[in-house]
Amino acid sequence: MTSNLPLINIMFLMITAFAFPLIKKIKYIYFFSYIIHILLVISTLATLMFVVNHGAYALNIGYPDTFMGIQLYISHVEALLGVVFSIIFLMVVIFASSTIDKEISENRIGLFYLLVNILYTSLIGVIYSNDLFNAYVFIEVSTLSACGLIIIKDKGETILAAIKYLIMSTVGSGLVLMSIAYLYSITGHLNILLSHNVIVATYQDYPNSVLIILSLFTLGLGVKSALFPLHGWLPDAHSSAPTPSSAILSSLVIKVYMVLLIKIIFRLFGLNIVKDIVIMDIILLLGSAGMIFGSVMAIKQKELKRMVAYSSVAQIGYVAFGIGLGSIAGLTIAVYHIIGHALTKSSIFLISGLMISQNKSKYIEDLKGIGHEMPITLILFTLASFSMVGIPIFPGFISKWYLSLACLELNRISLILIILASSLLNLLYYFPIVINGFFGKENLKGRIRKSKKVNPYSLFPIVTLIILMLLTGLFSGRIIDFIALSFA
Amino acid sequence: MKGLLTNYYETAAIILFGIGFATLMLHSNLIKKIIGMNIMDTAIFLFFIAKGYIFESQAPIIRGELKTVYAYVNPVPSALMLTGIVVAVTTTAFALALTIKLNEKYHTVDLDKIMEMEGDKNDE
Amino acid sequence: MKYKDTILEEVCRFLILSIQIFAFYIILNGHLSPGGGFSGGAILGSSLIIIHLVFGKSYLQKKINSQNIPAFISIPLIIYGLLKLHSFLSDTLHWPHPPIGTPGKILSSGFILPLNIMIGIVVAFVLYQAFSYFWDEEF
Repeated sequence: MTSNLPLINIMFLMITAFAFPLIKKIKYIYFFSYIIHILLVISTLATLMFVVNHGAYALNIGYPDTFMGIQLYISHVEALLGVVFSIIFLMVVIFASSTIDKEISENRIGLFYLLVNILYTSLIGVIYSNDLFNAYVFIEVSTLSACGLIIIKDKGETILAAIKYLIMSTVGSGLVLMSIAYLYSITGHLNILLSHNVIVATYQDYPNSVLIILSLFTLGLGVKSALFPLHGWLPDAHSSAPTPSSAILSSLVIKVYMVLLIKIIFRLFGLNIVKDIVIMDIILLLGSAGMIFGSVMAIKQKELKRMVAYSSVAQIGYVAFGIGLGSIAGLTIAVYHIIGHALTKSSIFLISGLMISQNKSKYIEDLKGIGHEMPITLILFTLASFSMVGIPIFPGFISKWYLSLACLELNRISLILIILASSLLNLLYYFPIVINGFFGKENLKGRIRKSKKVNPYSLFPIVTLIILMLLTGLFSGRIIDFIALSFA
Repeated sequence: MKGLLTNYYETAAIILFGIGFATLMLHSNLIKKIIGMNIMDTAIFLFFIAKGYIFESQAPIIRGELKTVYAYVNPVPSALMLTGIVVAVTTTAFALALTIKLNEKYHTVDLDKIMEMEGDKNDE
Repeated sequence: MKYKDTILEEVCRFLILSIQIFAFYIILNGHLSPGGGFSGGAILGSSLIIIHLVFGKSYLQKKINSQNIPAFISIPLIIYGLLKLHSFLSDTLHWPHPPIGTPGKILSSGFILPLNIMIGIVVAFVLYQAFSYFWDEEF
């Protein structure tokens, strides 16, 4: 029974999603969503315990035989990511119950939770799936439901952002499907493990096909995860969506495609085949360009949410940097950065949503002196921005440190300069908000000192996420060792 | 060149993919973009199904006695593309619905004009 | 639509009946011949659209309350998910299988028939719902 939990998670979320339109009272909708997401946290933890005790395993769906059916593969990374995702979803859902009725109209709240459930299904589907076509279908479902979460606000700018996102994602999914077609034509399998066996035996006969497959996958998944220079849709989409949606989109959705890319590079091809291909260097180059460019663009922004969205472009750059190093240390740290950044970025988005709704202005300039009004919120923001900048013991620092170690291991010392430069740039846009917030004397007119207006339902999830982020930093050694078990 | 002519399905698919991609990227009219999107998807379906087709063999439905494996085409690509078509139709319907909403709010379906109306947000 | 046409209405009374019978035939025979839930549901949905166009919204409103359409869409989907969960898990957990029946009969091949019926209902109402959103421009 426990070994079937990943499948039950996916099905459970899909089935319960369609119960939301049937519930009429909004209070019951909130209550029902709490129950669903608490159950999911428990069941992903049980999956994690199962993997810890029994090791990685494959789960065949429908047919007992791998050749016919769809397969899920749950190793340490997948189980750990499942837990992180379920916790973040639970926290976002709790946060949403206190603020979502201010952002979207009342008859759409059931629809919002339906879309959250479907998005969640598709994300863990992509993570668990070991079948490429199945992963493609889940990717499409995630794109459509993410678009739904953006347009649910029903304003001109959100629809414009959603259609940009939809068009770019269609290009991405077209490229992914094309590369699956290429792969199918040389291997005859869609299952990652079976394809891997064929590729290892025959890749020297098809040098160009391997190059084409990997470059199409990189481009397609790169568009969807906003890898620089394909990030054009991200700032609009993530900044105009309602706050809970943008927290999910920015911390989880764009990361999932990177997880799939890691799976393709490590499981489908294997590092031995990939290391001679030029694509890895291109991923590294795009990653480092994104790290610099995303931060530079974030400095120029005047709106808080847009700044945070551009910072996501930079952080995806770190993940791509780790992948592009092409070593086991690099992949491990990419996964660690995905976890650390998911916790940090979701809390930053929730905090900025609170600040914007309290301040009734989305511009950074108007946030001066906000520390006098909402000190706890700004302290939480400070902790999260410490992680983004890379102050020691925070997860942001740990991933930068280990990325530098991975560079040293490969004797590519010049790459460390890029990491340093990007950290300094991060400092330039997060710290002014903190400093002006605490010490700014402008805009103090009309502010209430230490306002009690903050709802505990919106503060609790942020505090939990920040505590988890600190724990991720403190126990980084253990977590990284655990992740490395998957790449052994 | 000979390789291109013998694999004419794949060649046609790649050409169609290019046409669709260019239409999607270069036109600013949203309806044309959606048409380009559909051409691109169709090209991929053609490519994928051509991969499963074997010349002069039948659909794998067994009537009477079972013939050799080579008498039947590979049904997996066709089955996969059935899913792919449903996905493409859904995306198209969603994109068209969004276009109608945009037309209601901005009274044009030209993406460039809409962006002008929104004003720049100091990107680039 | 204010415009009323007697010839159109009388022809449609017969036409809609045959369209719907054809739709049910396709849904119920989905596991025996080409067709199935999606195509049958699309035909059923188009018959609903014709009713809406020819007889007007209020006529359809009497038969199907539009408040209930979300329920008509989501309940079959929930049943579909539960049946599918059963068929995924029944092998490993040794749950009882549905009877297979004789091949070629309507009541055969396990869960495929109920799954087709559920999909047919969902597709019909989703198509009609999408149409009425655009036709009435109230979304």
